[in-house]
Amino acid sequence: MAREFKLPDVGEGVAEGEILEWLVEEGDAVTEDQPVAEVETDKAVVEVPSPVNGTVREIHYDPGSVVEVGSVIVTFDVEGEEAAGEEVEAAESEATGEAAPGAAESEATGEAAPGAAEPEAGGEAAAKPAPGDGAVETGAPDSPAELEIDEGRQFAPPSVRRLARELGVSLATVEGTGPSGRITAQDVRAAAEAAAAGTAAEEESATRPRDSEPADATPAPEVERRDRTLATPKARGVAADLGVDIDQVPAVEEREGEALVTEAAIRQFADAQQAAQTADAAAVAGTAGEREERVEYRGVRRTIGDRMEESKYTAPHVSHHDTVDASRLVEVRAELKERAEAREVKLTYMPFVMKAVVAALKEFPFLNSTLDEEADEIVLKHYYHIGIAVATDAGLMVPVVENVDQKGILQLAQEVTDLAAQARDRSIALEDLQGSTFSITNFGAIGGEYATPIINYPEVGILGLGAIQERPVAVDGEVVARPTLPLSLSIDHRVVDGAIAAEFTNTVMEYVKNPALLLIE
Amino acid sequence: MVVGDVSTGTELAVIGAGTGGYVAAIRAGQLGMDVTLFEDDAVGGTCLNYGCIPSKALITATDVAHEAGNAEEMGVYADPEVAVDEMVEWKNGVVSQLTGGVEKLCKANGVEVVEGRAEFQDEHTLRVAHGGQGQGSETYEFEHAIIATGSRPIEIPGFEFDGDHVLSSRHALDFAGEPDSVVVVGAGYIGMELSMVLAKLDVDVTVVEMLEDVLPGYEDDLARPVKKRAEELGIDFSFGQAADSWEETEEGVLVRTEDEEGNVSEFEAEKTIVAVGRAPVTDTVNLEAIGLETDDDGFIETDDRARTELEHIYAVGDVVGEPMLAHKASKEGTVAAEVIAGEASALDYQAIPAAVFTDPEIGTVGMTEAAAEEEGFEPVVGRFPFRASGRALTTGHSDGFVRVVADEDSGFILGAQVVGPEASELIAELALAIEMGATLEDVATTIHTHPTLAESVMEATENALGHAIHILNR
Repeated sequence: MAREFKLPDVGEGVAEGEILEWLVEEGDAVTEDQPVAEVETDKAVVEVPSPVNGTVREIHYDPGSVVEVGSVIVTFDVEGEEAAGEEVEAAESEATGEAAPGAAESEATGEAAPGAAEPEAGGEAAAKPAPGDGAVETGAPDSPAELEIDEGRQFAPPSVRRLARELGVSLATVEGTGPSGRITAQDVRAAAEAAAAGTAAEEESATRPRDSEPADATPAPEVERRDRTLATPKARGVAADLGVDIDQVPAVEEREGEALVTEAAIRQFADAQQAAQTADAAAVAGTAGEREERVEYRGVRRTIGDRMEESKYTAPHVSHHDTVDASRLVEVRAELKERAEAREVKLTYMPFVMKAVVAALKEFPFLNSTLDEEADEIVLKHYYHIGIAVATDAGLMVPVVENVDQKGILQLAQEVTDLAAQARDRSIALEDLQGSTFSITNFGAIGGEYATPIINYPEVGILGLGAIQERPVAVDGEVVARPTLPLSLSIDHRVVDGAIAAEFTNTVMEYVKNPALLLIE
Repeated sequence: MVVGDVSTGTELAVIGAGTGGYVAAIRAGQLGMDVTLFEDDAVGGTCLNYGCIPSKALITATDVAHEAGNAEEMGVYADPEVAVDEMVEWKNGVVSQLTGGVEKLCKANGVEVVEGRAEFQDEHTLRVAHGGQGQGSETYEFEHAIIATGSRPIEIPGFEFDGDHVLSSRHALDFAGEPDSVVVVGAGYIGMELSMVLAKLDVDVTVVEMLEDVLPGYEDDLARPVKKRAEELGIDFSFGQAADSWEETEEGVLVRTEDEEGNVSEFEAEKTIVAVGRAPVTDTVNLEAIGLETDDDGFIETDDRARTELEHIYAVGDVVGEPMLAHKASKEGTVAAEVIAGEASALDYQAIPAAVFTDPEIGTVGMTEAAAEEEGFEPVVGRFPFRASGRALTTGHSDGFVRVVADEDSGFILGAQVVGPEASELIAELALAIEMGATLEDVATTIHTHPTLAESVMEATENALGHAIHILNR
């Protein structure tokens, strides 16, 4: 019995995910809870476990596909329940097991993503053959590949929904350009064309070429194939040498109703084919000389973008800058560093700054708040969850250290180290990226003094840390070199005024200047 | 004399000529298929013969009489005499005009209509027994089949329909002379429609219902105006009463009911009508022969192509599940025929509108506010009361309102509820809006004819956007 598996809701507020990699192939046996796919949501990478014991019948999306939560991504055959019709199965596995003739893109790159092979009967851009597409049994062999109807409300008119079925496009994968995102006929056609344009665009994220797939399979520009062709024995020999299918070569003339091709025509066809193949390969490899490159704006990048836009266009930002003498902090940290190392904890300045920030937040509670615009209320938080901005390969992430006020310096150091590592290798849990009440960004770790950080909305403040290094400081009328920490505080001016921002910064500076104060916190 | 078996081949066999079946047959005929349609009772099924159509005919006829006799406010003084027999005759005329029309359409589309009860013999053969002795039977070999056997009224144990004392909704639409009094068991939409018809014919009506209110399943504020009107018409209600037994008395019947605590109540009337719902008909086609089983509720399971577990056998209409509505059956019939013909058709509707033809009417489509919340939308609701509608006031019927439910962010219309005059017609515009993926603004900015009830739909969407003209927006 086939069991369809939908992309589960992997975390709060996650509406779609990108399939990074399939950990199983069609035909593989799987056990319950065995990871079958890696899916990147806008927040993290998660492994999606199999809900059943059985075998993988069909994988519905290629790696790189962006899939909405609730879409069927894989179909399993469940053990013990009878498979629905051997014939259908056989037909399907044949269709997918064999590199489909005409799928030029996949062969040119030596890559056949699972499920890329299309049954040709599907006609235009039949993207995903669905389970139970029993063309074999239904006696309706010309019907297009059948798509499941997506669950939940679809915001597309009935005529467009029908068009989508005809073109084999799942509405769940189409981004609507109509009013409020309504899906139009044009959107569906564009999606079908994109699907037809094939796997080329998806190569980027599909990293492993299939080693069993040598690149010598016949590259076939879209050419009709005849059943019979007339040619001289010599011409046939040339065709064989050049690896040309003589039934595909354009006919020079007709003789007694049969197409005739000449040696010259065969050579010309072979050249054209080679040129096409080279062009394809070049297009995929992105050869030098391209002046522009288009990188998809999605996943983590898109999330960051959306959040920044929301924050900057919602909260009027003001940034306040100051510098504090960090000599004592440097000493204290140097003293404690070894002890921390003895406990296998890497001690940075961050935990000290976090503690200083929490002390200042307690004094200025409006910095630890959010603005509830609907209720016209400012929500003051009596807990202190500090978000720490981390640069990762995928982009900015902000893991959250909870209840900073209740934790010791070493514990904070350990948690920051762990969370940052998890963020970098994308193993971080979604809940560790949610719920901060105030954030800190340590751009100084890379370099620089001041910045104008963007608030981690809906928080109302973010503190940016420059690099701690020796800078000229005036002490008692003389310029001396002292390690200083440049601070950049951005606030939401709707909730916090500049005066409060300055006072808050002063308090943070107090604690940095004199870390002993942390002891009485 | 038994004629012996004759075997005929057909591309598509449709079992049942109700709304689901005849629509499927006609559509398949349009698509060039060789279709045989089997019916052992009456072409048109429940809807045309014993349901939607006859009940609406009687509702309209009794409304005409009732309105004429109750229009003193408008300066009209009349006391219409109602000849119930003639009313029923007129209704029968409407029914036969429609069923005759369906038969003609079938014929014109090349559909062979065969009288008789069809049952499966195996996965590709139907045996059709003709009514009466010695008529013999035939077998039909088919490539595809559509099961469209519909539903029948549920019988409460002890209340088997006898057509004399205990009536089904079907009997109730065919009475020869109105009784003086009835006990209606069930306050669902069928029970309420019938009760109001009878009350308008001056029949003493008592409604007993097991649940706590009229029209279970509908939101309270939709049911309230109906109950209020029913009470004005003199209908007595008794809620929390399960029908237990009945006996014949001099007056007619004595119906005994029991509440949760076991207290027994008695209701005496000339007749009792039992309208407690409908059950799918799956026991006439010999499903065992093709190995098809029904689900826990007795329905045949189908997928979004109207297909059963067997690739070549489809099922449509009441027999596949709730809601048991003719227009749902009709859609399923169309899709089944198109899928069999190899078209990219599917059951992808976004909402099924529903109408209750009580006084006032109720029309619903799509999500309620609560359902929208459950689906994860942030609903915004717009409402327009008919007492603010000029047209409603001029009809003398201004109870009720139009309500639309939309997604606040996108403005997409998710659902609507209407109670009031012509609610059954008004809901159509909102169903279209939902299927089209229309936003509140799309409907609000469409010019609606003045003065019409449909303006209320526009005003309700405007109200959701905060700028209805003829009411104060909250």
